[in-house]
Amino acid sequence: MEALNYFALSWLSPELLALTALGTFLGIYVGAIPGLSVTMAVSILISFTFSWDVNNALCLMVGIFMGGVYGGSRTAILLNIPGAPSAIATALDGYPLAKKGLAGEAIGLSTVMSVIGGFVGIIVLALAAPTISEFAITFQPRDYLLLAILGLTLVGSLSSGSLAKGLFAGALGVLVGTVGLDPLTAEERFTFGVIELWDGINVIAAMIGLFGVSEALHQLHHLDKAIIKQKITRIIPPWADIRKYFPLSLQSSFIGVIIGALPGTGGDIAALMAYDQAKRSTKKPDVPFGHGAKEGLIAPEAANNAAVGGAFIPMLTLGIPGDAVTAVFIGALFIHGLNPGPLLLVEQPHMFWFTVGNLTLANIFVLIFGLTGIRIFSKLVECPKGVMIPLIMLLSVVGAYAINNSVIDIWWMLAFGILGYFMRLYNYPVGPVILGVILSKLMDENWRRAILSERGDMGQFFANLFSSPLSCVLFAAIVLALFTQTPLWTKTLKPRLFR
Amino acid sequence: MSSQTTRYPGERLFSFLLVVFSIFLLWRAYLISGFSDLSSPGAVPMGASAMMVISACIAFTQTLKQPPVEGGRFFYHCLPMVVGFMMAMVIIYAVLLEQLGFIIASLLFLFITLRTLSQRSALWSLGLAVISLAIIYIIFRLIFQIVLPEGVVPEREILAVVSRLWEDA
Repeated sequence: MEALNYFALSWLSPELLALTALGTFLGIYVGAIPGLSVTMAVSILISFTFSWDVNNALCLMVGIFMGGVYGGSRTAILLNIPGAPSAIATALDGYPLAKKGLAGEAIGLSTVMSVIGGFVGIIVLALAAPTISEFAITFQPRDYLLLAILGLTLVGSLSSGSLAKGLFAGALGVLVGTVGLDPLTAEERFTFGVIELWDGINVIAAMIGLFGVSEALHQLHHLDKAIIKQKITRIIPPWADIRKYFPLSLQSSFIGVIIGALPGTGGDIAALMAYDQAKRSTKKPDVPFGHGAKEGLIAPEAANNAAVGGAFIPMLTLGIPGDAVTAVFIGALFIHGLNPGPLLLVEQPHMFWFTVGNLTLANIFVLIFGLTGIRIFSKLVECPKGVMIPLIMLLSVVGAYAINNSVIDIWWMLAFGILGYFMRLYNYPVGPVILGVILSKLMDENWRRAILSERGDMGQFFANLFSSPLSCVLFAAIVLALFTQTPLWTKTLKPRLFR
Repeated sequence: MSSQTTRYPGERLFSFLLVVFSIFLLWRAYLISGFSDLSSPGAVPMGASAMMVISACIAFTQTLKQPPVEGGRFFYHCLPMVVGFMMAMVIIYAVLLEQLGFIIASLLFLFITLRTLSQRSALWSLGLAVISLAIIYIIFRLIFQIVLPEGVVPEREILAVVSRLWEDA
């Protein structure tokens, strides 16, 4: 009964209801405009909301997260430009549908399927999280260390073509997270005698730089890209279509929620895997895949929204963010005094049920905003980049300044922005940097605890690692993640084994 | 394993700089507590920086093996004039923010960047800059109550006068 009260809290409070609606609305537009990402929006937003009440800030951020994942599909359908990475697969069949004059119907169908996917993700989160959380209480410091390394390894290897570049980015993040006074011994680490660095590098400034400034600078390369306009007719999808594709949307949602729950994978991989599965399982599509098959639109849309609920599972139960968006989100939770991890459900169960209720509410708002205002929306996404980029820059500077009312944070933001720009340019993923910063404290603490419990004996550490089934599985997963990226696997073993 | 087949202009130098930067950080990490203890404050920084050195060296080697992009020019493909301009503008904006204050510095920043990037008339750029700034100011300064640098504009006094007039009305 108490859980239900917390679940319904954001539904019954007009203020929280309005903030969730506003967040979802903004998320849809932010996610839809190419060049604006959910990660960027949440990063900038944290600096403005960190003095707010935690519930209010959560409502706005959850809304942006949920709306943003859905919003990316709109420009994928209308302009063949995915607004977010999770909408890459949507463009494959969504845009051909729009070219046939079915843009409205494609948006309507993608909205309904996204909402179904969103609900599946939330249900799985509500059912699975308490069990995982109970299990996670038994985790040893060694297991947390391995989990964090696994998350970094997977994100590093999946987010770019090069494992070395991904690992470099993750390690850089871990290092950035250690700057300042050591929390246990107060010893200076990378402070260079500068007192301002004793508190470390502000993670929000780094986030805004890496995701806001670097992305905006990168978008300057495409200033003169022409926008193709689409005609929009019917929006509400036919009931027969919803009924016909419901089983496929459920199948794709389950793929999405499982993929989303794995550290290192997010909505983009979930959507591509669901698309691939739909292509295999649909024997005779009305229209071939890639030429406007509705199945090719439904599968990725259901999967990427289901992945949101999935991504919340490791984030809330283990305190391990799965990808860049959840890394930023977990950073926001820390800033608001919450401690995501196995004890969250024991010590603050109200926050868990509040988040579940809020996600459900945001999903309903996705349906409402998704099926309305599409004509105005199609005009807004045509906003030229020459107007958008100066505004993003201004908001980034204001956001960085607002953290501590200090220009130093602006300089950090700019430094990370310029570094992020060159990293993107040369295919170094920026997501693992933030993931590393967030996981740094967890890794540092748990490494030291684990090694102290073995009295500094490395041999004993490994001996115990292989005597615990969970540690063994995690260690094997790390080795596997690294091994499958080596030339020995990709060039020699894989072609032979999967001929 | 890298899926990238060609090297962009400047990529070799960037990868090399990352190697040098990583080695420098490894040395700084060693200075924290050396090899004194596995649970020392320097253990994780040393592990992370060692990983940086190894991965940066691998990435650098991979880059050296790749052929350059045909016809690629650094200041055209990697750091075009417009990117350099925007970086310079943001740096100048950050410098002027505390001296001139949020309103004037932001107005100048928006006007110049909008005019340059959108290539529209001065009046259009100024109008859009004023409207955008007004919206941002209302949302962040007045609604979110975020303290922004005042600089040369006596903002608090103006706001006090406006609120008095509002109350009188």
